[in-house]
Amino acid sequence: MFKKILIANRGEIAVRILRACRELGIQTAAAFSEVDRASLHVRLADEAYPIGPAASRESYLRIDKLMDVAKKSGCDALHPGYGFLAENPALPRACADSGLTFIGPSAEAMEAMGSKTAGKQLARRVDVPTVPGTSDPIENPDEAQALARSMGYPILLKAIAGGGGKGMRVVPTDAEFASAWRDAGSEALNAFGDSRVFIEKYLVGPRHIEIQIFADAHGRCVSLGERECSIQRRHQKVVEEAPSPVVTPDLRRKMGDAAVRLARAGGYVNAGTVEFLVDADLNFYFLEVNTRLQVEHPVTEQVTGLDLVKLQIAIAAGHRLPFAWESITPRGHAMEVRLYAEDPDNNFFPSPGKIIERHAPTGPGIRLDEGVYEGWTVPMDYDPLLSKLIAWGNSREETISRLRRALDEYTITGIRTNVSLFRRILAEPEFLRAEIHTKWLDELLGRPRPPAVPPRPGTEEAALIAAALWHGANTLSSSSGDSSSSPSRWKMEGRRQQMDHMP
Amino acid sequence: MKLDIHLHGPEGKKKRVVELIPKGSEYEFTLDGQPVEAEAVQLSPHTISVLLGGQSFEIHVSRSADGKLKLQCGPHEYSAEVHDPRAWRGRKQGALEVEGRAEVPAPMPGKVIRLLVASGDSVAAGQGLLVVEAMKMQNEIRSPKSGKVVRLLAKEGQNVNAGDILAWVE
Repeated sequence: MFKKILIANRGEIAVRILRACRELGIQTAAAFSEVDRASLHVRLADEAYPIGPAASRESYLRIDKLMDVAKKSGCDALHPGYGFLAENPALPRACADSGLTFIGPSAEAMEAMGSKTAGKQLARRVDVPTVPGTSDPIENPDEAQALARSMGYPILLKAIAGGGGKGMRVVPTDAEFASAWRDAGSEALNAFGDSRVFIEKYLVGPRHIEIQIFADAHGRCVSLGERECSIQRRHQKVVEEAPSPVVTPDLRRKMGDAAVRLARAGGYVNAGTVEFLVDADLNFYFLEVNTRLQVEHPVTEQVTGLDLVKLQIAIAAGHRLPFAWESITPRGHAMEVRLYAEDPDNNFFPSPGKIIERHAPTGPGIRLDEGVYEGWTVPMDYDPLLSKLIAWGNSREETISRLRRALDEYTITGIRTNVSLFRRILAEPEFLRAEIHTKWLDELLGRPRPPAVPPRPGTEEAALIAAALWHGANTLSSSSGDSSSSPSRWKMEGRRQQMDHMP
Repeated sequence: MKLDIHLHGPEGKKKRVVELIPKGSEYEFTLDGQPVEAEAVQLSPHTISVLLGGQSFEIHVSRSADGKLKLQCGPHEYSAEVHDPRAWRGRKQGALEVEGRAEVPAPMPGKVIRLLVASGDSVAAGQGLLVVEAMKMQNEIRSPKSGKVVRLLAKEGQNVNAGDILAWVE
């Protein structure tokens, strides 16, 4: 087993990986940019090393700096997390050159499957159905636009190196093509260092269902079942669940077989996800392979009882998968919501800033994977994902009520979060009936908001009393000049009031 | 201590008078002159627990950028302007509203990456004015109203802070 692992990432996923290492008795080295000195992954790691300025192109995307840190700290393996360099074949190559084990697939498997165009070609070769579109990146905007016209709008522009909705644009009409092309390209360049995009026909109303696969270096490849991620806001997943409410055991087996076939054809080793679009008749179309751990991996962990990060590490160390895939059947139901620092009342604008107070939900069936803490300032330089709140229950209904309960307990002040978005989604009858598709949330947000549930009687009065009390405490603390000599200020105010009443 | 509170919340806008009357180490409260059966405890610098006739409420209090108090009670949010008529230190707060002219502020810190209109252009409500990149996302800033862009203060490549005025639409 490895002695020390370099975690080439930040935020909640760096913390997630650190925790797995700690449980395995493996030392950890964190890497951090200038604005992440106080981040949770730095605090929790055994060792931590600076790798440059805030801009990810000068820090988290710098392979040379990561290799320096690995060498200096004596790491024998590297975990890339997701995002940043996780799907860049140059990273496993650099690791190999430095004698480090990369916890993930080989560079060759990444190239054969990870890029959307290569993945599609491979899928066609092994008879996995695909969505119509180009299989090569298009560099010339005029050529791209001509192709889009011939394919018929709406079309989708997608970054070759992409993931998480970055560098992705739906183009509904020809008039919007030019600006979408520019935005997709520059967003892709910023996020992945690769501006190339390709074009795909845009299916109407499909579900997004993906298969988690695992392959070891000894020829065993298994499916750990599906996750449904149809709740997306502008192609960004925000709610994920396992199992999918529409997947039957038969469909699960078919999709699992297709995913495993693809992984075998690509010589894939370690964790991967094969994404599919599923239409109303339960036909599935290959979308892409994510050659890494997914953001939403916890829902699979909750229904399988497995720790996917520990499995990744074990496989990278040469261990065999300890089970036959037939033995994996989902137990209960799990659902994850992605809490972002963004303002749902203001067009979901990012809301970086200092977390003044935070109270995390706990209790039965609740798991919180996060990279934040009270008093920490959320930097404006990265993806605004704060936390993933995951609920598990015996049924979908129980899971949803646990999630609602946990959202009510979760308070975070100082920054805006999208908690209210989930309150709304989890109350929608269509969502409760699982009548959802990848455009469902965007359509919901386009509809007028249902009348808010009125506050229970007394809320306004309670708020008034709180405002008065808080105003009193803070006014007095500033006039007393010393804000650290706390509670006796109340007594002072009391005395002042009593003096006022003297004749 | 008697306070005038202008409250804006789910039940609308109103002005209420809250009085805090010290009783030993605690306080009694009146609302608009009527005594209320309430007990309040500050649990942490920004969290106050209020028991109101046996009903338990937890209120999170913070000061927002415009100087008002933000009060969060579960999913409900109020904003409050608190005036102490007897305070000797005057307080002037509240956003300045200009009749007919809308100032378009940056909703978050970021970088202006593209201007979509020029000064003098006519724009429709909801039309994109410029694009600000923050946290790797490109966000189109839209016009709050139909009219004419009378000033475009933002420049391409410029870093902006939340609240910086980017344009005026009249």
